[in-house]
Amino acid sequence: MRPVAIVGLDCRFPGAPDAEAYWDLLMRSGDGVGKVPDGRWAAGDFHSPTGAEGHTNTTEGGFVSDPDVFDNEFFTVSPREAAAMDPQQRLLLQCAWRAVEDSGTAPQRLAGTPTGVFVGIMGNEWAHLHMTDYARVTAQLGSGNGYCMTANRISYHLDLKGPSLAVDTACSSSLVAVHLACNALLSGECDTAIAAGVNVALTPALGIFYTQAGLSAPDGRCKPFSAGADGIGRGEGVGAVVLRRLEDAVADGQPVYAVIRGTAVNQDGRSNGITAPNRWSQEEVLSAAYRRAGVEPSEVAFTEAHGTGTVLGDMIEAKALGRLHSGRSGRPLAIGSVKGNIGHTEGAAGIAGLIKVALSLHHRVVPASRFAAKENPALKLAQQGLRLLKAPLRLRSGPALGGLSSFGMGGTNAHAVLESAPPHAARPEPANTGAGSGRTGLGAGIFTLTAPSTAALRRNLLVQADAVRRRRAPVGPLSWSSNRSRTGHRYRFAVPARDTGELAATLREAATDDDVLARLSGGPSGKPLPALLFTGQGSQYPAMTARLYEDAPLYRRFLDEADAALAPYTPGSVRDLLLAGDPAVHRTGWAQPALFAVEYALAASLAELGVRPALLLGHSVGEYAAAVMAEVFPLEHAARLIAARGALMEALPEGGGMLAVRASLADVAELADAEPLVGVGAVNGPRATVLSGDLAALGRIEDVLGRRGTRTRRLEVSHAFHSPLMEPVLDRFAAVADETGGGVPKLPVYSTLRGRLLEAEPMDAKYWVEHIGAPVLFGDAMARLLEAGPTHLVETGPCPVLTGMARPLRSSAGATTHTVAPVPAEGAGGTEFAEAVAALFRSGVDPRWDAAYPEEERTPQRLVPYAFSGTSRYWTRGPVRATPAAAIGPAQAAAPSPLRQAERPDRAGGGAVPPGGGAVLTAVLPAAGQDRADPVARSVTEAVAEVGGYAPDEVSRLSLLYEDLGFDSVMVMELKDRLQERLSGLEAMSVQDLLPRLSSVGDLIDYLQDRIGSAVA
Amino acid sequence: MQPSQSPPPTPPSPGAYLAAVGTALPGEPVDNAMLARTFGVSEEWVDVFIGTRTRHFARDLTSGETRWSLAELCARAGEQALTASGVAADEIDFVVMGTATPDHLMPATVNHVADQLGLDQIPTYQLQSGCAGAVQALELGRTLVTAGGHRAGLVVGGDVCSKHLDLDWDLSGAAPSDLVNYVLFGDGAGAAVVTAEPRGHRVALRGVLNRFTGLGRQPGQVIEWFGMADRHEDRQAVHEDYKAIEESVPVMALEILWELLEDLGWDPGDVDFLLPPQLSGRMTRRIAEQLGLPDAVEVSCVADTGNNGNALPFLQLEALLGKIGAGQRALAVAVESSKWIKSGFALEKL
Repeated sequence: MRPVAIVGLDCRFPGAPDAEAYWDLLMRSGDGVGKVPDGRWAAGDFHSPTGAEGHTNTTEGGFVSDPDVFDNEFFTVSPREAAAMDPQQRLLLQCAWRAVEDSGTAPQRLAGTPTGVFVGIMGNEWAHLHMTDYARVTAQLGSGNGYCMTANRISYHLDLKGPSLAVDTACSSSLVAVHLACNALLSGECDTAIAAGVNVALTPALGIFYTQAGLSAPDGRCKPFSAGADGIGRGEGVGAVVLRRLEDAVADGQPVYAVIRGTAVNQDGRSNGITAPNRWSQEEVLSAAYRRAGVEPSEVAFTEAHGTGTVLGDMIEAKALGRLHSGRSGRPLAIGSVKGNIGHTEGAAGIAGLIKVALSLHHRVVPASRFAAKENPALKLAQQGLRLLKAPLRLRSGPALGGLSSFGMGGTNAHAVLESAPPHAARPEPANTGAGSGRTGLGAGIFTLTAPSTAALRRNLLVQADAVRRRRAPVGPLSWSSNRSRTGHRYRFAVPARDTGELAATLREAATDDDVLARLSGGPSGKPLPALLFTGQGSQYPAMTARLYEDAPLYRRFLDEADAALAPYTPGSVRDLLLAGDPAVHRTGWAQPALFAVEYALAASLAELGVRPALLLGHSVGEYAAAVMAEVFPLEHAARLIAARGALMEALPEGGGMLAVRASLADVAELADAEPLVGVGAVNGPRATVLSGDLAALGRIEDVLGRRGTRTRRLEVSHAFHSPLMEPVLDRFAAVADETGGGVPKLPVYSTLRGRLLEAEPMDAKYWVEHIGAPVLFGDAMARLLEAGPTHLVETGPCPVLTGMARPLRSSAGATTHTVAPVPAEGAGGTEFAEAVAALFRSGVDPRWDAAYPEEERTPQRLVPYAFSGTSRYWTRGPVRATPAAAIGPAQAAAPSPLRQAERPDRAGGGAVPPGGGAVLTAVLPAAGQDRADPVARSVTEAVAEVGGYAPDEVSRLSLLYEDLGFDSVMVMELKDRLQERLSGLEAMSVQDLLPRLSSVGDLIDYLQDRIGSAVA
Repeated sequence: MQPSQSPPPTPPSPGAYLAAVGTALPGEPVDNAMLARTFGVSEEWVDVFIGTRTRHFARDLTSGETRWSLAELCARAGEQALTASGVAADEIDFVVMGTATPDHLMPATVNHVADQLGLDQIPTYQLQSGCAGAVQALELGRTLVTAGGHRAGLVVGGDVCSKHLDLDWDLSGAAPSDLVNYVLFGDGAGAAVVTAEPRGHRVALRGVLNRFTGLGRQPGQVIEWFGMADRHEDRQAVHEDYKAIEESVPVMALEILWELLEDLGWDPGDVDFLLPPQLSGRMTRRIAEQLGLPDAVEVSCVADTGNNGNALPFLQLEALLGKIGAGQRALAVAVESSKWIKSGFALEKL
């Protein structure tokens, strides 16, 4: 069998709310077993120490805490539906979500893929309790019913389209589910599979059964292979693993806990009674798994045994194992069972064992088995080549093998052989990179976190802050992993991260300070449309972007590229000039190629980061880099042309100048026309014009304007650009331009030569020659660009210039856009660039994160799992009692809608409800409706609330029925009936009438008001 | 793939041996009646809940004067061990010391000990640790003599709590968690001469376990230290999480025992003497019972010496040397609950 990697996992078991706590419990040899909690069944009613008929001999078991807590809003499940769901389904949903995140994948990225879901489950106690009360069977109960559709529920909410099925083979269910998932992966049926198991005990029935069958431990504890073993204790739990073919996991750079080398399933057929364990078939399934794994039994270092702690079961299992291991050389096979810690978790037993084995191989230590110190001498384990794990077993370095057994009461046995993850599993093969061409990284990571609401974001920021502070992880890999696994929800948090300690502090600050959170997060909607604005001459300065060059390999790669392209045409290296901080950068011959190089490198870096410009605009020489991005000509041609341009202009005699005038073009045109050596250099806005030309002539104009009271300012330039003084260079420039050519831009370019979008017009030699002498029509070009509705204005240059100039134009165009500056100031480096990428992400851009990290930082780090809201509780039944009359809790019988414990703290069984728990729920929903007074509005709101199981004030006009309130077709049917009942003036309508009106509650109200109104009229 | 569980055959490794042990307890034993008089604590409470009868203090409870430094106690124990071992002082190639309560942060107390013993021009090591420090010192001593460079060395351990013994404190109304700090501990020191060949008592050190297991766990025990800037801060100098200790130490002790047994290939029946963790008279009794070595003779001291940290294993060893016969085996288990360190060692008399 080809190897299958366990790439992600999550679980909840007695005494262990998550995988980290589970491992801790195992390593402490902790005890997760305790009294039957309130809310399950009245343990005293069913207890008989002697195991009398209809009774169980124990009042203890392994129970998970808070099985009633469910973050229904996260999954857009209405409270009413949540209350009608088997808690096993709710636990599985949350667990599956976290397991996928743990695999280094944002679950949203799996949406639409043929990912498979395989759930092992045998308990159907919820259905026994709810589906037998026929008067109360509702539509929701159907889909929430026990193990009916448990796997499908996960597929539905995660939008997974591969095989999706629940497996019942009694106690081996979840290992059989893993077996089926592996087979589906290996047959190519799916590329990712979620295998899970769940068990929640709601009735004493199985405990009574175990007792009556003589299999129940009086203290409720399994004591595997111990001299004190006296039967089974029931346990609860939920666990999920994410599986990939090993080669896929490695190729995708996913972290690997362990590898499944081989699995096998068989049946003992017509054995010595359907429930009796069978030694021969256990041996056979072990052999089959070893065969499929291609390993010798003696190579296996340890095995997680089924180990229920029944005298007969332990004996048969030890003998079956002994048959294969008694002759082994070297140390005996180390065995143990997690059942000693958490009880027999039945449908979840296989997954509990699988996660234990995977974590053991991952941590390279196998926990001791509880109750092992006093092993049962009758088992003669040493003779069987076995030893019970009385102390943790440290695994030697190198590959290690572990086995796992799970046996079903009906005779379906399963065994798996796992191996430690290959050392290279953490990293994919390096892509074939040319000499330095693939350099990536910004010099700072960008830590991201997203959530469906700001409250959820805050909660998770806090959780991450604590985790980052507790255990240092390299900040680059941690950030990269957060980009991969924690993006996809609407509310986006992002912050540059250079140090783990600082990051922890920032996360905490953002979680607790609303201003910080507002600054570092966003809730964008719609498709991003970023515009790149390339600055013109004048924005250059010595050592511009030198820090960024030092910090960011990605930027270095592209500046080097531009430098190499320019080198044949410049007197020296532009890059060296910049890094040396040479003030010669202000000389035109250097300024133009240097700006070009910087802008090209910035834009190319952004493009590599996945920030594909939707719109381009370059101010004067800024148009050269813009043209390269629009594929007008290759980098080398642009480099040659801009170098020639700068050199030719520098060769012109000095004496020209430029004058910025706070006036419209019309106001100064006459003055410019009067001076033959002066022209209009630029029109930057309705009241921002630049004149260019001979210094003496400009002086005369300055005087006139001064007398008029018009404000002017001399620009510090060596030459009069875009003026008649440029004429002497045109011929020689044209000669070069003819050779470099230029085509039609492939991206929308808003030309500052034309003052508008170029429409299938080439930016060819003619264009670039004209560009030298003609005015820069920035104001017009920018106004047109803004009309296209960009979501972002990205200042592509060594300092912010154009976004400032665009501001007055923006207000007139009525556009609201984000401005982003990758180089916000002199001396800015990798952190500032990373902040720009973070800002782009917050406001809706989805960067290609890999480019932000050097290859060695692109290694997976596991983040702590998503923290679901703990404020909503759903438990529709009181504890099961012995007397039939009490079986229907009176409070529930009277309540027409499901019990929402968040709002009824007096019934919040087990967990403390924080004050205002209900308020958190409403905060994320639009505020209560304003038109309560209107009878139609009131009736509609109430009907919607009733069907969804919301409080009326949680529903407003703005509430979206499907997205916010989680309505489904069954609920729509019911809503129609309720509306029909409540609104007497409403003539009969069909669901088809209603369906198109069901976007928001407000729409529905308007529609019904119209309908009623027209009926009256 | 390679089978990973069978250890590669190793050549008979050079051994490490304990030639002799010395100990030092300051002053007269302080009984519970004396404690009751000094601190107002209930004598009965100490008897029942702590189970420690006497302890020794470097500070005189009547005068309040500190009469012994840790260095003095350790030097006394070291001298005794040297004398008993028949190893001359100039044969000592190194000194290793474990303590949680050095006299100063600098110089390290081990150097004062060497000075008082007239040792010079040799490597010295001080390991900052709680009761596992003595085992860590033994392990380092063993490593040094088996590595070939050294023939004999002195391994020392000790602790004094004078700094924390506030005689003005009235405990009559104190909570058990505060009381415990006063009635659990004591002062003392011990030393052993470790040799590369069997000498003196000729007890082979067959195995040593020393392992940090506290990843992600809150410490069970914290002793603060204060300087000029924070000396007035209202922080408890000694803090213990008794609940965590009571829950974890027995489990860890059992795992240490079994790991040593399995590593050595010893059967539980092979162990003639058990040196269990010395938390307090009561806890030690409980742990020793559940370690389940019915044939082994328990060697404990805490009920008479109090919990004096790094001195404990040496006090137990001293008692053991008086009992152990040729061919007999002993197993020692110590748990440091500060950051959850498992430690232990196995001995066999030639």
